[in-house]
Amino acid sequence: MTGIEITSGTWLLVTTVGVLLGLDGTTWLQTMASRPIIAGTIGGMLFGDPVAGFLAGAWLEFVTSRHPPFGAARYPETGPAGLIAGAAYALSDSASILALLVAVLAGWTIGWIGTHSISVMRQFTVRLVGDPRVFAGDPAELARRHRRAIRLDGARAGLITGALFLPVVFSVRWIEAIAPGPAGGTPTGLVAAIALAGLGGVGARVLGGRREGWPPFVVGAAAAAILVWIGS
Amino acid sequence: MRTTRTDFTAAFMRSFVIQGSWNYRTMIGAGLGFALSPLLQRIHAGDPVTLRRAIERHTNSFNAHPYLATVAIGALARLERDGEDAETIERFRTALRGPLGALGDQAVWAAWRPLCVLSTILAFCLGLDPRLAALAFLVVYNVGHIGLRYWGLKVGWRAGLEVGRVLNASFLRNFAARLTRVNEALVGSALVLVIARTPGVEIGPSEAGLVGAAALAGFFVPTRGGGVAIALMFVALGLWWI
Repeated sequence: MTGIEITSGTWLLVTTVGVLLGLDGTTWLQTMASRPIIAGTIGGMLFGDPVAGFLAGAWLEFVTSRHPPFGAARYPETGPAGLIAGAAYALSDSASILALLVAVLAGWTIGWIGTHSISVMRQFTVRLVGDPRVFAGDPAELARRHRRAIRLDGARAGLITGALFLPVVFSVRWIEAIAPGPAGGTPTGLVAAIALAGLGGVGARVLGGRREGWPPFVVGAAAAAILVWIGS
Repeated sequence: MRTTRTDFTAAFMRSFVIQGSWNYRTMIGAGLGFALSPLLQRIHAGDPVTLRRAIERHTNSFNAHPYLATVAIGALARLERDGEDAETIERFRTALRGPLGALGDQAVWAAWRPLCVLSTILAFCLGLDPRLAALAFLVVYNVGHIGLRYWGLKVGWRAGLEVGRVLNASFLRNFAARLTRVNEALVGSALVLVIARTPGVEIGPSEAGLVGAAALAGFFVPTRGGGVAIALMFVALGLWWI
């Protein structure tokens, strides 16, 4: 395993970006910079490998898309999750398929941790703004409390990113170093392809739209497969 | 008092943080009041009692898709300016919640965003630099996003009480259905291409059926079981590897 060096400045930069991406998810702008493909690319770029970051983000996109934000549904928070997954895969020792899967699993888990942290935060937010009488009809008081709620969300996203970034990076590298390898001499590349196809398929239905949409899904997949074989 | 362009600009800018204080009791109620404030302060200038009542009214429970909340901002400001009574405004406010949520979810979360995400993944897989692909996503997606917010504010203000009828006749009505067909084809291509682009993956022509079957199996996992299926797949992979 080769060494990596992460300075406190780098950690601070990642945490700051995590704050911005966490805010973008719900409370501030919603430009979708918090989507995994963007957050992952940023995470990869910060460590010199935007391709690895984008790939981790793309897989996280498929996995997290199974939980769309319709109505009051709960769904994984993707900003800090994508950032950390992209950075962790970019910082992995050999950019192996194992490192990618562990980074995506970590991103998915962080996404759900983020969601639970939002639920906890909203218990505090309700105290700030949940009763219209607290503003006493004063626009200045309303603005003050609303902005405080936004800052609270920023602090939450910073806490998630700052606390989980280094453990995830080192976990990915550690698992890569100690994992003995696939059992029984099975072809790693094929099993990985099957696993990724299954994981991607789970999210694909929601990204595509409907369960009844499987025929165009199959046609699109077949067309792309032909393109790949022609290319190779 | 007559509203100015500056008031609308302030309300529009504030709409970008309308979910800033989302909570389980009033949802985006406080955010709606915050975004409406510049307009309300102008409309009720010189009448602090009416302004206070308007702020209290609009910070009550409300929810909508964040991008289409500008329709509510525009329409509610119009009702306030037209001097509608509190009961009419409250009824109108309640009636707006459902359509603005459902329309936005379908048009944006289920159609526009997946289209942009899938196109970006395809562009990357076909060789576009990931930084450019990400930048292109942000530009294209947000042209739609910001355009929708702007359109919503304009339509809401112009139509006032009639905004429901305008929304029904708008492009949003069939937007999702049209894009869904495109997305269904794109998602299959994007999945195959991103598998092929992933380092360490090897598939021969004879094994393509297995990979395709896995993708279809994932596709047909019941909606409620999605999270469990993903977790089980990760566990199985871990066991196999170790």
